[in-house]
Amino acid sequence: MSHFPPEYLASNSSQKPNYARVFLTFARNSLVRDMTFRSNFIIETITSLSWMFMNLGFYLLIFSYTDVIGVATGWTQYEFFVFFATVAIVNSLVQTFFMPNAQEFSELIRTGNLDFALLKPIDTQFLISLQKVNWSGLGNTGFAILLLLFSLWHLSRHEADFVLHPLQILLYPLYVFCGIIILYSLMIALSATSVWLGRNQSLYNFWFYITNFSRYPMEIYSGPVGDPRRWIGESLRTFFSYVIPVLLAVNVPARILAKPMAPDNLSLALYAVIGTILSFILSRMIFYRALRGYRSASS
Amino acid sequence: MPAIADKKHWSTVHVLQNTLVTWWTILRICLEERLVYRGDFALGTLMRFLPIVTQIFLWGTIFETISGKIAGYSYHDFIAYYLLTMVARAFSSMPGLASGIATEIRDGSIKKYLIQPIDMIGFLLLNRLAHKLIYYGVAIGPFALVFFLCRNYFPSMPPLETIIAFASSLVMGFLLGFFLEAAIGLIGFWLLEVSSLLFVYMLFSFFFSGHMFPLDILPYPWNYVFESLPLQYLAYFPAAVWLGKIEGESLVTALWIEAAWVSFFIIVCRIAFQRGVKRYSGYGG
Amino acid sequence: METIRIEGLRKTYKIYQKQEGLRASFRGLFRRRYRVVEAVRGIDLSVDQGEFVAFLGPNGAGKTTTLKLLSGVISPSSGSARVLGHVPWRRENAYRRRFALVMGQKNQLWWDLPAQESFRLHQQIYRIEPAAFVARRDELVDLLEVGKLLGQPVRELSLGERMKMELIAALLHSPEVLFLDEPTIGLDVVAQHNIQNFLSYYQKLKKITILLTSHYMKDVIALCKRVVIVTDGVIVHDGSLKEIIDRFSTHKVITLQFADHGLPHDINRFGEVIEEQAPRLKIRVAKQTVTDSLAAILQLHPVEDVSVEDPPLEQVIAEIFTSVKQESDSTGKRAISKI
Repeated sequence: MSHFPPEYLASNSSQKPNYARVFLTFARNSLVRDMTFRSNFIIETITSLSWMFMNLGFYLLIFSYTDVIGVATGWTQYEFFVFFATVAIVNSLVQTFFMPNAQEFSELIRTGNLDFALLKPIDTQFLISLQKVNWSGLGNTGFAILLLLFSLWHLSRHEADFVLHPLQILLYPLYVFCGIIILYSLMIALSATSVWLGRNQSLYNFWFYITNFSRYPMEIYSGPVGDPRRWIGESLRTFFSYVIPVLLAVNVPARILAKPMAPDNLSLALYAVIGTILSFILSRMIFYRALRGYRSASS
Repeated sequence: MPAIADKKHWSTVHVLQNTLVTWWTILRICLEERLVYRGDFALGTLMRFLPIVTQIFLWGTIFETISGKIAGYSYHDFIAYYLLTMVARAFSSMPGLASGIATEIRDGSIKKYLIQPIDMIGFLLLNRLAHKLIYYGVAIGPFALVFFLCRNYFPSMPPLETIIAFASSLVMGFLLGFFLEAAIGLIGFWLLEVSSLLFVYMLFSFFFSGHMFPLDILPYPWNYVFESLPLQYLAYFPAAVWLGKIEGESLVTALWIEAAWVSFFIIVCRIAFQRGVKRYSGYGG
Repeated sequence: METIRIEGLRKTYKIYQKQEGLRASFRGLFRRRYRVVEAVRGIDLSVDQGEFVAFLGPNGAGKTTTLKLLSGVISPSSGSARVLGHVPWRRENAYRRRFALVMGQKNQLWWDLPAQESFRLHQQIYRIEPAAFVARRDELVDLLEVGKLLGQPVRELSLGERMKMELIAALLHSPEVLFLDEPTIGLDVVAQHNIQNFLSYYQKLKKITILLTSHYMKDVIALCKRVVIVTDGVIVHDGSLKEIIDRFSTHKVITLQFADHGLPHDINRFGEVIEEQAPRLKIRVAKQTVTDSLAAILQLHPVEDVSVEDPPLEQVIAEIFTSVKQESDSTGKRAISKI
């Protein structure tokens, strides 16, 4: 047996971890893992892509019956494809970076492996939310970006009044990021409920039902005068814009590119930033409250 | 000798009775187990209708610019269709069945079915039945509420024959869903990692079962592709029957085809299980 | 120097109680019944730097709960504790860098990746200097002789190899306090022995403080001078191994080897015969009468060889557990109430 060099006994302990480097290690380890199960990786990438093609086919089918979704709103085919591409970009990024982790959160609670996460000298929410990266989700992101570029190109060729200002191109990624944070905050808050609901269930599944509202232009939540759809739609729109701001996650970035002149854009865009910050703070509060619950309820 | 014949008869009855008692006990334990996980029950069922709300608004907006119908479906037909597929999916969807079987094969807990004198597929079927019974018991409230609120979207009540055909398509939908997913789970005997296969199945079944939109609005030749697959019976078919899209002789034929698919997957499950167990015990587990 | 100080530590939690029967299950849909479990019921303990202390106790005695409290994973219901001057459940990063927890039944390494990738992640999380990281890893890998396995996915390792990797991961940041929860559970004798050797060597070398829970008396005998016995959430004994035997064992075991090949038949009047293997005989004799009995036997029979031993530690400890359990059951100290 060899001896331990004594200089390693003293540890310099006041340093914080470098979060960027920790994240890169997560990403790298996940990639190593994905590459050992290469056939799974390929199948998942292809299946996700075909799912997108199916959806795209569905909208093509609808646009074979009509030129525009909604009279007053006027999302024409390629404007709508900008919207659809934004849905896909936001969702695929959430799926790549956050979904495997939120899904596993309740599993960690059930198996007790959450204990290890609580021991680490690093922010627990960061560790739980990002430790696995599902690289196969990025296939959809790539395809969605291509679709976005193609739609923008098509719009600039065929629509006389379509212009793209550099500011729009700058703001788009910023609001895509806001959208990702809004959807992530909702997701982690819902999966944290497994601490209270029982060890192998959580409200995580509801994320899909709630974010389903965000997949369509917000103008559809309305109806003819006198129809109950009108007031229900208006209330839904208000609720999912200002209380749980999932409608802003896709609508704001998509409008910035495709319909920059819509009248309520400015107020929505401003609120989207506030909503993102508030969602994130709230999700953090719920997350840490859940950990407190875990600490007092487990042995 | 009449005495012996009598005794034989008695013992057959006895065995049958014992089997029934066993199955009833299993069903009851499954019911109890399910009731413990109450968390997402009532609220969960209501949440499942949220996508319908989006559909109501989406199709309402689409139909603003379309006068008349899309492939024979009016705006109201579309909404009624989505609501009816919810009913069909409540019967045919089997969350966690295939992945559960695959996991049990992989981690070896499948041994308990090989040691205990119970039939695994039968046990799982009862388990699922218990699950569904509890689910309907709780979900009937939210379903009734939503259907009442959306009553204007439905055409007038169909004739009795249609209702009977609808009901039998639901029951067969349950069986088809069960044996189809069980068969996929049993692939775990041959492939260690079934999860990506399940992922493929899930996505395609969502699309090809007609959960996303009525399959018959698809253009040629796609509609033929979908009609030849068993997946359409999981969602599209019951809804189309209620809406009167399939009638008369073609309805009867379709029901027979569905029954054939059900028997096909029962047989597939039997064979797959027997072969799988043989293979499994051959490896020494 | 005092490293760990615990005073009046308590932990109670609620668990959902499943009701028997279908009707009760239905009722459980609307009203749940809970049972309050007192896992730790007032523990006082002081551990000095460099001590290697064993926590013994039957399942559910509160050993793991105490370790989890000390590592700050869970918060106590009442009481206080200090480890290295920190209150564990404040979970300061400064504290988290100074200790490690290893649980034999759980793994923190990435299942599908080689262990070295998990080590690298630890390096980033604990921010270990690259040179120090490489040196410590190589030393630990050498000591545990797992150099060839570093590149293999963890899922392909044997249980013993995996536990070695878990230990390396836990020791990379050179913790001053180590909590070990059943580190040898499920391991074969050789692997158990390897890990005991390593722990003993490493602890002496680095003078770190270790708290260990284990079901294997061999671990305890090999590693710990000080033993804390916990049953039902309270400490019933705190002292050396020797003291346990002196204090708790009421009997000694006498082994007799007789000169002729036959065995005498009247031996059982001195004590209970536990093993009969001619020409040898083992009897269990009450402590106070050992001298008298031995004198009488030697006078009556031709004995070739004789030895007097303490009963095996396992047996003594099992007796302590059962006696404490009976006592607490009869007085109903462990409060179980329904809400």
